[in-house]
Amino acid sequence: MKDSNISENDVITQPVKIAARNVQVYYGDNHAIKDVNVEIDDKTVTAFIGPSGCGKSTFLRCINRMNDTIDICRVTGDIEIDGEDIYDRKVDPVQLRAKVGMVFQKPNPFPKSIYDNVAYGPRIHGLARNKAELDDIVERALKRGAIWNEVKDRLNEPGTGLSGGQQQRLCIARAVATEPEVLLMDEPCSALDPIATAQVEELIDELRQNYSVVIVTHSMQQAARVSQKTAFFHLGHLVEFGDTDKIFTAPEDPRTESYITGRIG
Amino acid sequence: MTDVANTGAPAAPKTSKSLLTQDARTIKRNRAETRFKMYGIAAISIGMLMLVILLTTIIGRGTGAFQQTFITLSVPLTEAKIDKTGTRDIEQIKKVSTFGYAPLLSAAFAQKVTELGIETDLKPKDMANLLSKDAPATLRDYVLENLDQIGQTVEFEFLAQSRVDGYLKDRVDRGSIANDKNISAEQLDLVDGLLVAGTLEKRFNISFITGADASDARPEAAGMGVSMIGSLSMMLVVLVLALPIGVAASIYLEEFAPKNWITDVIEVNISNLAAVPSIVFGILGLAVFINYMHLPNSAPLVGGLVLTLMTLPTIIISTRASLKAVPPSIRDAALGVGASKMQSVFHHVLPLAAPGILTGTIIGLAQALGETAPLLLIGMVGFIASNPPETIAEGLLSPNSAMPAQIYEWAKRSDPAFYERAWGGIIILLVFLISMNAIAVMLRRRFERRW
Repeated sequence: MKDSNISENDVITQPVKIAARNVQVYYGDNHAIKDVNVEIDDKTVTAFIGPSGCGKSTFLRCINRMNDTIDICRVTGDIEIDGEDIYDRKVDPVQLRAKVGMVFQKPNPFPKSIYDNVAYGPRIHGLARNKAELDDIVERALKRGAIWNEVKDRLNEPGTGLSGGQQQRLCIARAVATEPEVLLMDEPCSALDPIATAQVEELIDELRQNYSVVIVTHSMQQAARVSQKTAFFHLGHLVEFGDTDKIFTAPEDPRTESYITGRIG
Repeated sequence: MTDVANTGAPAAPKTSKSLLTQDARTIKRNRAETRFKMYGIAAISIGMLMLVILLTTIIGRGTGAFQQTFITLSVPLTEAKIDKTGTRDIEQIKKVSTFGYAPLLSAAFAQKVTELGIETDLKPKDMANLLSKDAPATLRDYVLENLDQIGQTVEFEFLAQSRVDGYLKDRVDRGSIANDKNISAEQLDLVDGLLVAGTLEKRFNISFITGADASDARPEAAGMGVSMIGSLSMMLVVLVLALPIGVAASIYLEEFAPKNWITDVIEVNISNLAAVPSIVFGILGLAVFINYMHLPNSAPLVGGLVLTLMTLPTIIISTRASLKAVPPSIRDAALGVGASKMQSVFHHVLPLAAPGILTGTIIGLAQALGETAPLLLIGMVGFIASNPPETIAEGLLSPNSAMPAQIYEWAKRSDPAFYERAWGGIIILLVFLISMNAIAVMLRRRFERRW
């Protein structure tokens, strides 16, 4: 996990998973996202970077319609996943969120046991027919969340009793337990120490095998370490989007260059 | 340090003061703080003092009501007086009223006095006057239930009348009875004699807790039991109605309702309802439940409905507060794994809010339990001497009183013996309230320990 490994990020062309066209987001009168067009590839880590308040988290929350829970929030434009408009009237956000998992900024395990935390999603979606299958799903999810070895002996202990980094990996395990196709991460490491951050970043890199991962981050180093594609947001605009090494080595837009060199933001 | 000084480092500014002395401003601030602490301690001391005064007064005046004076007598159930026909026909025996039993008591009392060798000029009837006016009725009830005992001699423990009881509790003395036609000095002499002989004694009286109210002439027989059942029936109605309605309303308002001016108006009105004087709910209950819906007068069902109206705002406000206290990250987490809004509320938010909801509900119930004003308007105050109801439906629909109303009823009667019972009733009411609060604390602990 060195800064210098940007060039090692392999860029293999993958099919487009999420396509956004002319997306506008309003919070009441505030125009938070202005005309964003972006195509996010499958089995790729895409990082959203930009200064605070630039709209990157807002845009992320549009992808699984978490913004629906905010009364004053209004979204226009199209966001398609696998060619289907997720803002179509026929789409039930609950089904969408099973397909598009999310990990939040602050680790937010349920105040239940570790097992129940992971099993909750599969239970409500009816993914397991019996206890043995559910056990399997939980074990697989915890392994994928790279936390199985630490918690396998204490699955019945409360998830809230784990350390911050463990909690965040538990939340990732919980998100992958419902077999999503896209994983959204909203600054997943901002509440973690460097060691826990390193573990989570390693995990993100592995998750790329199966999912399209979109990560919002404040740390440009992190974006450079984990992502293959990077999008730079500024004041609600998507300023530049492209291969991570290109964004960090030869940005086209002067604003991107100012940000990554530390002149704005 | 000296080296540094020698190299010509700039001298410390002259304004710098030693940390070992306080400057005027610091002294002033510290004094203000000390003063404020003193105010706080004084306020708490006053509060504690009031509490101590309250408790000592209540306990000092009320505990007497739990003790009553009893007189032990062996009464021969003479067949000639009770069952003139000798057929043991219950219909015939029922024709003998309590007046018919009075001579039996007089005779038994006179015989007891003779046996004990106490000298007195009193006539047997005046001796029996020491017994409660309840005694002939006690005797009659016993005979009607045990027809086979007619002709036998049975030992009874009768309540003594309230002046005798008052004499043993130092409420009555020879000075205070000068103009009292209920008791005379000779009768008190007899009481002294009986007390020495052990025939007359003061002890714990369970029927104060379990019994029904009694008429003005027999304060010694009055008890809280029936009004307690009235209160409990009302609490049942309040719990069954107010908890589900209140919790459902709060969940909808807090989690589902769109935030617009209609919900704002509802919110403001609920807060205002919590501050409406309870007597307003009383007259509303009178107008709606009794005059319009023709529900029975004085029934705990009506009382429960009125108290439900009164408790709902309390429950809604506390439930909404505890729902609001659940961190939004839990809702996000549930929605994030694809739970529906309802699943996120019922699986995650509600269990976390449960301790707060329970506490709010129990406090609302306790408030309703102590409420008197609305009951005055729907007729749940007054002399209710009926026996305990047998079924829940009867308990809800037959006229009854409630504990605070019963206390009010006793307190306004003239006989000081009732005054003592009012204090005793307050002890029972407080025990109820304290145990409800204890349950609230216990449930809270238990649920919170689970997560």
